[in-house]
Amino acid sequence: MKFRVLLLISPSLVFFLTWSSISWAQAPREEIENTAQHLATLLNVGRLIVQRNQALINDPRIGNKGFTPEVFEQQVLDEFIRETHIDLKHDSSQLPSLAKELLPVLLESSKEVVADAQLVINQRGIGYKNFVPATFGSQAARKFSNRSYVKIKQTTLNPRNLKNTPDAYEENLLKRLATKPAIDTSITEWIDNGMTLRAVTPIYYSQDCLVCHGDPKGILDISGYPREGAKEGELAGAISIRIPVNKR
Amino acid sequence: MLQHCPKEYGSQGIVPFLIALGIFLQGCGLVFDAVEWVHPLARHELSAICSKGQVRVGISVEPFRPFVFPAVYTDEGVRVTGLDVELIREVADALTTYCGGQTPIVPTLHLTRFHDLFLEMIEGKLDMFVSSNGGNIPGARPAGLWYSIPYFHNDGIGAIIQNPEVAERVRAQFRKQAGNPDTLAAIQAGLSGLTVAAQKGTTSSLYAEANLLNVRLLICDSLPASVETKDPHIDVILSKHSILDYVTNHVWPDWHLLTRNDGAPLLLTQENFSVVTVEENRRLQWFLNNLLYRLDETGRLERMRRRWLEEDYAPTRRAATEGLPFEVSKVPDHYDQGQCRFAAGR
Repeated sequence: MKFRVLLLISPSLVFFLTWSSISWAQAPREEIENTAQHLATLLNVGRLIVQRNQALINDPRIGNKGFTPEVFEQQVLDEFIRETHIDLKHDSSQLPSLAKELLPVLLESSKEVVADAQLVINQRGIGYKNFVPATFGSQAARKFSNRSYVKIKQTTLNPRNLKNTPDAYEENLLKRLATKPAIDTSITEWIDNGMTLRAVTPIYYSQDCLVCHGDPKGILDISGYPREGAKEGELAGAISIRIPVNKR
Repeated sequence: MLQHCPKEYGSQGIVPFLIALGIFLQGCGLVFDAVEWVHPLARHELSAICSKGQVRVGISVEPFRPFVFPAVYTDEGVRVTGLDVELIREVADALTTYCGGQTPIVPTLHLTRFHDLFLEMIEGKLDMFVSSNGGNIPGARPAGLWYSIPYFHNDGIGAIIQNPEVAERVRAQFRKQAGNPDTLAAIQAGLSGLTVAAQKGTTSSLYAEANLLNVRLLICDSLPASVETKDPHIDVILSKHSILDYVTNHVWPDWHLLTRNDGAPLLLTQENFSVVTVEENRRLQWFLNNLLYRLDETGRLERMRRRWLEEDYAPTRRAATEGLPFEVSKVPDHYDQGQCRFAAGR
């Protein structure tokens, strides 16, 4: 009798343990997609804060600008609340557990970029310092990707930095996005037989971007790159995120 | 009997033993010195660089454009660029080859205030420094430092002004000389009574202190500080001619180079820029001189000169593609170009 009970229980136990271990290691797809959207939003918010402080950063008359990692963090948190109604610092209960794990890593990476740039930002007598949304975003994404199994990258069809060159998947998607009206959500797709999420969040040119990326096309901007001749609202590039289902 | 030995040894034998040991050790030292002289046993500075995989290079934190531009932020992080930085890359590449080429020798840049470079070099914190610095100006070589053969020839101390009347005063002096030019006399008379600024510790301040006795001399912490100072009003700023040529064309268009009557550049004296290391680093000195000679004979130095002084380029873009990172911990907090003050004892 005991043997029969054991025979019945064992397969159920094996099934339960296997299922639970898989679900423990793999976040549900919806949670991963949600996390990708939040990561893109947070990186974009960081870029926005750098853009908002651009005049201060480039002011040659001031030495210590006071644009510290802590000030940057507070502005990012405030803007993130405004855009998502989620308080990352004090109440992130609305976030999926994967996002709770990854967003602080991205925030910390972004703060580190601002910390590393303090020397450049606080130079008095120097105007343009090339600490702009694009350079901030590249470094923040790289720092985050180096310490996570999730990979974030800024990419565009005609990158100034060749490390931001799109792969075939990104290039295809960017070409499609460039011909369509602006969207404010990520495009997500499961690849590798559903084992990897790819999320691409488009970035569009705002008026501030056009100082360097606008007209006249081909004329060098302040950093020495030829202007793209872009118009406000056109596709600038995208934040590309790759999240594998398995964490390792 | 054996039990008594230590006591006997301790009380009676220890003194001769110590004397013998002292003589023996002294002898050892002499033998060691002799062997070292014939065939160096200790690891020399080049093998130390090879084993560490890095060379510590000092560079001025004050921008000496186009030799070193202000640090900028790039996709790769904070970077510095300029002619001096390109030369440092050449030195590091040559060291990589010297060390066997297995692992690249990484240049670790220490961005330091110009006048602290000499101290850091003497204290052994640097293997060398490169900062558009000439060793042929009297007083420019602190004891214990060695200067390489030049990597930048035929520069010199130049001057910039804002008021054309200052130029006219100097030109009037040249006209008086009627075909028998004497720059020093023309400058001494032409600038007499004016306020002249030069950066602390640089060859231009040494020149002014030694030769311009009838001017009000301001010593500034940096070149930007002298441009920024409004009180007292500065009539003339002295610095390296090639630096002044670059900044008047690209950074401070309100300032103009002081030229000769025919419009040719006016150099107050000639200066050649060298790489600096300590007197003891004999192998490194030969390595540097041999490298610089080869770079000169292959035309590489001339190409670098044209690339940074004559081409039209954006320093930020060059920083992104070829700039070098540096140790942020070696940079003064909140770099500020500082202030100017009247030279002491004048």
